[in-house]
Amino acid sequence: MNLTRRAMMKNGMLVVSAGMAMPAIFSRGVASAMALAREGEGFSQVATDHTLIVVQMAGGNDGLSTIVPFTDPLYKQMRPTLAIPDNKVLHLDTRLGLHPNLQPLKNFWDAGHLAIVEGVGYPNQSLSHFQAMDIWQTLDLTGNGKEGWLGKLVSGLVDEAGHPFKSLDVGSMTAQALRSISAQVPTLSNTKSYALAPDPLDPDRGNARVQALMNLYNSYPKTSPYAALLDATALNAQEGSRALHAAEAAYMPAVTYPQDAFAAGLKILAEAIVQGLGLRVGYVTLGGFDTHANQQDTHDKLMTTLAAGLSAFYSDLTAHGKADNVVVLTWSEFGRRVEENGSQGTDHGTAAPLFVLGNAITRGIFGEPPGLSNLDNNGNLKYTVDFRSVYATVLDRWMGASSQEVLGGSFATQNFLPTP
Amino acid sequence: MLNPVPDSQPGMDADQTISLTPAAADSPTVYQQPFAVAPAQGAQFAGAAPQQPFVPAPALGSPAPVVSKSVARRKFMGKSLAGLVATGGALAIGGVALGEWLSHGGLNAFTRGPAASEVQIGHLLRRAGFGATSSELDMYRDLGYQGAVDRLIKYQQVDDSALEKRLQALNLNLNAPQDQQRWWLLRMAWTRRPLLEKMTLFWSGVLTSSFRKVGGPRAYIRMINQNNFLRAHAFDTLDNLLLGITADPAMLFYLDLTKSTKAHPNENYARELMELFTVGVQNYTQQDVFAGAAALTGWHIAGVAGSRYNPKDHVTLPVRFMGQTGSFTYKDIVRILANHPATPWFIGRRLFSFFVHENPSTDDLKPLVDAYVQNGHNMGAVMRALLLSPQFSSAQAYRSRLKSPVEFTVGAYRALGLQGDGQGLPAITTLMGQPLFDPPDVSGWPGDKSSASWLNSGSWMTRLNYIDLLLARGTVAGKGKAPIDLQGMINANQLDTPETFVDHFSGFLLDGPLPTERRGQVLDYFTASENASRARITLSNGKAYPLNRVRGALYLLMASPEYQLN
Repeated sequence: MNLTRRAMMKNGMLVVSAGMAMPAIFSRGVASAMALAREGEGFSQVATDHTLIVVQMAGGNDGLSTIVPFTDPLYKQMRPTLAIPDNKVLHLDTRLGLHPNLQPLKNFWDAGHLAIVEGVGYPNQSLSHFQAMDIWQTLDLTGNGKEGWLGKLVSGLVDEAGHPFKSLDVGSMTAQALRSISAQVPTLSNTKSYALAPDPLDPDRGNARVQALMNLYNSYPKTSPYAALLDATALNAQEGSRALHAAEAAYMPAVTYPQDAFAAGLKILAEAIVQGLGLRVGYVTLGGFDTHANQQDTHDKLMTTLAAGLSAFYSDLTAHGKADNVVVLTWSEFGRRVEENGSQGTDHGTAAPLFVLGNAITRGIFGEPPGLSNLDNNGNLKYTVDFRSVYATVLDRWMGASSQEVLGGSFATQNFLPTP
Repeated sequence: MLNPVPDSQPGMDADQTISLTPAAADSPTVYQQPFAVAPAQGAQFAGAAPQQPFVPAPALGSPAPVVSKSVARRKFMGKSLAGLVATGGALAIGGVALGEWLSHGGLNAFTRGPAASEVQIGHLLRRAGFGATSSELDMYRDLGYQGAVDRLIKYQQVDDSALEKRLQALNLNLNAPQDQQRWWLLRMAWTRRPLLEKMTLFWSGVLTSSFRKVGGPRAYIRMINQNNFLRAHAFDTLDNLLLGITADPAMLFYLDLTKSTKAHPNENYARELMELFTVGVQNYTQQDVFAGAAALTGWHIAGVAGSRYNPKDHVTLPVRFMGQTGSFTYKDIVRILANHPATPWFIGRRLFSFFVHENPSTDDLKPLVDAYVQNGHNMGAVMRALLLSPQFSSAQAYRSRLKSPVEFTVGAYRALGLQGDGQGLPAITTLMGQPLFDPPDVSGWPGDKSSASWLNSGSWMTRLNYIDLLLARGTVAGKGKAPIDLQGMINANQLDTPETFVDHFSGFLLDGPLPTERRGQVLDYFTASENASRARITLSNGKAYPLNRVRGALYLLMASPEYQLN
């Protein structure tokens, strides 16, 4: 990877070749950035064109109300108002079942396309939202990490053509998981506003003004504050908006997506996949899981939103013949306290299940649901599966990357994906 | 109500172990939002604090039993109450002149002089405010740096009644989130007390709530009440801010303290009060969360605008909290946290990152910590120390942060002197990732701590499109409003050549002219003959230029890398 930015004018448009920039935001020396760039070359040798969609369930999803241990008497005992009755649970086997609003996911299960990894956590889990989110995204167990695991993966994916849509984050701010010191992740909340509007009086629809603007960015001294970040952002935006608008014009969703922001985000990701923008990592967030009080109503709605959105997304991809190429992984910073609190809610907890969805996955329940009779000092579940082993599985068996290099360590893989 | 969980231990029943509150102190007092109050700096908490006598923390070794947390806690957990008790970068500034100034000691070289430099005042007004118009800059510069800081901090001496009248005239519905955002954005754009608004913005990112969880649409006004509380106490002691925010109806709902009862304390507020408002994540344990939650019981919402402390619903059992043992109330919790040695470092770091630069050193923070300790936790004193510190005016601080969406949106609106009704503004800041009164979570705006997170391809295009709206479309100013009055500005400032035009706007938007090469790029765009609109605009020398080229030059200045920085 070449760290010197090489920009040139092609057909009046500024284009940039590989390895654009080292954003100055991260106050690291050039030496470490170059080391990282070399590292990037290591895992850019990817063998597949598979896509990974990561769904963040922000706030701490209650695992016990998602995958319900409906036969466990302790579950009902410790959840006097929140326990979901047996007859409403969507049974997966003789002891576990899905939340009643997850029927679309049950359909995936029945078709063999859903895996559940149980008891996911890590040693000495943090009960702080923000520390826990940092850990899940940067893999630094002290919660002080800067670079995200997907960011590291994506920075290894910068290719010669500088494809802008190797990764795409739907939202107004780039998720920490996608942060990287050597790649900029396109981030947008809707496709319409992802373009520079011209002055309505410009006879050339703003071309001259954009060109002057890019020159102004180009001549901004490289040692100035945020030079590389600003530069990379401007170029990324320029390149990306053209590609995205071409895709937008050609894309016809095969299903009607639900009318919510989560589904709208998935639709943007589907558009990028269906229109062949080269998407490898897509990211979307569904928030609101911090259910300290009156949990049931909130959580029920979130389950509906999650399942309906994923169902529409999957159907859309299937109709376009793209579903075989996509795997969806969900995560949340922690599960919730086993015993409900006095506000018909639950406080911060630890281990929880997560979903992996796609035609390629092996159906089943992986890992072991933590026992409700064997809690830690705070009344929380003891994890049985390290979250990094889930990441390792996806990286090694789906993305064709080296989990060792991305995760900075070796973690056992799970069998929810077959060995390639 | 919850049924008792069957596996509780004998003798651990809440009704038996926890004594009722003494009759003498149990008449509940009602807390009312003090939002109409604008106390003098350093004034005592004006929030009509509950009237019962302040009970000092019992001495250690108090005879009351202190249950300590054990591995066998799960059994206790059956009774939740028993469970609870038991438990930058290198700097190179554009512009030759700027570069020279900075190489001679940064902005500080000018701090002591009678007249402050353009750069230094520009920096001050961006950080301690939202930028300035050309004439505002002149006014502050004439005060000298110290005088300017004084005027910003002693905001009561500046009359801002015109702002209140203008806002009133808009007839906004302060119970509707969109109008709430307009109300605050316009306040920031039009106020003559910029630091007061900036400080309120800072606090709202620390002592955070969101309209999405304050009790539903009929109670959205709680967000405005909370905002007014933060404004009224922006420079008060941290203790008073914490006492007020603990009793604040929006906060009571947002972090579930109103749901926290004597029988079933809720952990949410206790945890965030420590992690995000005072000592930080490394400085408390889950035991402190349990204990703090118990001690904080008693507060509940009373009507839309009020809250009420009910001693009968407060846990009086002694708890062990942050190394101290006692039968604590919320006042004790606030007192212990405000006096905790980690607190001024934590708050100081938040302030320094927001107002000066990110990643401060211990040496950078020490003066703020000292000011906090020596001035009875008065935040006005801390802010004075911060604004007068060499670090604030250092080259390391200059343009070391990305403008936040609010700083960018309000900054452009303010600098260009826009009037209008601000209808389009909420959508703009939302698209950039900063919808006021609706932060992503209880940790506030991520960009307050790390401003680079504000910038990505999507938010960058939104910034530039907003400038385009202001200059070429005009829809942001209000329905059917024209874009800015460029001709009026040209006439008023006697802008007679492309050079004077570009330099005039660079002066207050960018602290001075761009470096020669880049100034030339903007001038070339201004004077190019192709792609010209038929619409013209006339400079003061009588010569007409294509309107799209002229406003395009201003667009380039506001779309430039430098203008994205604060």
